[in-house]
Amino acid sequence: MEHMIELVELTKRYGSTLAVDGLSFEVRPGVVTGFLGPNGAGKSTTMRMMLGLHRPTSGRALVGGRRYDEIRHPLHEVGAVLDADAAHPGRTAFVHLACLARSNGISRARVHTVLEQVGLSNVADKRVGGFSLGMRQRLGIAGALLGDPGVVILDEPVNGLDAAGIRWIRSTLRALAAQGRTVLLSSHLMSEMAVTVDRVLIIGKGRLIEDTSVAEMRDRFERDVLVRTPRAAALTTVITRLGATVTTTGDGDLIAVGVDAPAIGDAAAAAGIPVHGLTPRSATLEDVYLQMTDEAAEYRASTEGIAR
Amino acid sequence: MTVLPGAFRDAIAAEFLKVRTLRSTWAFLGGGVAASLLGALILFMLVRAYDAAGPADRLRYETADPTVVTMPFVMFFIGAIGAMLVTSEFGTRSIGPSLLAVPQRRTLIGAKATVAGLIGLTGGAVFALFAFADARLLLGNRPAPINPWPQWTDAIPTVLCSTLIVTVTTVVAMGLGALLRSTAGTLTTLGSLVLVAPIFAHFLPTVWQLRLASVLLPNLTPQLAGGNHPYLLSPGGAGAVAAGYVLLALGAGALAFRRRDTA
Repeated sequence: MEHMIELVELTKRYGSTLAVDGLSFEVRPGVVTGFLGPNGAGKSTTMRMMLGLHRPTSGRALVGGRRYDEIRHPLHEVGAVLDADAAHPGRTAFVHLACLARSNGISRARVHTVLEQVGLSNVADKRVGGFSLGMRQRLGIAGALLGDPGVVILDEPVNGLDAAGIRWIRSTLRALAAQGRTVLLSSHLMSEMAVTVDRVLIIGKGRLIEDTSVAEMRDRFERDVLVRTPRAAALTTVITRLGATVTTTGDGDLIAVGVDAPAIGDAAAAAGIPVHGLTPRSATLEDVYLQMTDEAAEYRASTEGIAR
Repeated sequence: MTVLPGAFRDAIAAEFLKVRTLRSTWAFLGGGVAASLLGALILFMLVRAYDAAGPADRLRYETADPTVVTMPFVMFFIGAIGAMLVTSEFGTRSIGPSLLAVPQRRTLIGAKATVAGLIGLTGGAVFALFAFADARLLLGNRPAPINPWPQWTDAIPTVLCSTLIVTVTTVVAMGLGALLRSTAGTLTTLGSLVLVAPIFAHFLPTVWQLRLASVLLPNLTPQLAGGNHPYLLSPGGAGAVAAGYVLLALGAGALAFRRRDTA
């Protein structure tokens, strides 16, 4: 497919360290895909290999069916921000973008357009050295949009941003995906991904742990239903008859596992038992993510020692 | 992987825009101007002393070729512009976006080398002509030996060869930059090559002094131009040594640039 990112058995070894270990996946257009993993999982290395900055030890990474370094004037096909600080501080925002544009045969008028798009028009002639982190992130994204590319790749785009900046990035990425582009962004924060992305690729220790949708992940880890009723004993019998296991909390509430909330509501109504509360509880995505990556995390602090 | 002419042309244009918009470029050009003005001032004082001297003393004056004094500094300053084409990008991590825009490393390093060469050629020619002009102006019709070029046409080989050696130095500096990546390291190496090594050579035993001095970049100019000089190489030999510098520095720089992971 034209704008697809495709990794086949991608591997990168630094000396004795295996940073990326036979990674294979596809990133499709039209949705925002999150690339998640704990610090040191190999996300940045993988992205750098996709973009030809690092050489894979073996395997391949293709963008639109080609290796990145085979693309002539690649800014027209792929826009990427790997490092918000990667601009010469002595150049103005306009000149920084103009240098990139010139190398890909992109007009200066387009530079003005993208500066407008990211809201930096009024500081176009200011030196990048004086920019805040949020402004530099915007400048990076302006650079990624220069060639109106079908693929957008961002490494940790919300790191260090304030709430307004995060919201801006989120809406920008969703808009880009809605236009049919392939959008891939990395993060080590599940909470951020949960509200931004449609699909998640989770890696740990350089290996793919999960390739799924956020909704499916949420469903899969739905845990139990909390039921509040004045007639606990009667309702327990009813719910158990539905094939679920029921336990009682210290407050006298019931926790039902193996049945969903509507079924409990219907059965209670049929039996004439009043129900005061019915709460489906799922593991937060954060919990799920931590559970998945726990073994793969390179460094995990022990809280036991601290608590003592 | 083939070098695509259109992409190469665009990469060169981008490199020119980058070098023009670096403040250090103009600072180093200013350094070249200062060195040239200082050279002119020294020549001016020398001419005044010469004029005040008696006929016998005048014969003892050495040739006052201003390129000998100023061009090593010009080589350093213009060479530094060439080095900054690469090291400024590694120093500020802007090499990342540059490689995302031009991922064919051979094209990018080729564009940088081309721009370095053109800057060296232009800068070398301008400063060599400046040295020639102030020599003509200050020395006028004074005879040899103080006047290196009694006829203006006598200066042509020196001006041409100075220009060529500045060009060589600038490309070499770019190659060193690609190899070392650090601005401080590259400028120190460049300074050692063109400014410090010639002084160091003086402390060696005479035989070694001549052998070493003959292959140092600044001393290639007179050897390439032929005529009177104390060194050992023929113009052809000096040309071969100059080519060797380019091949070695540019080759090692380009190889490192292509092989190593970046950003």
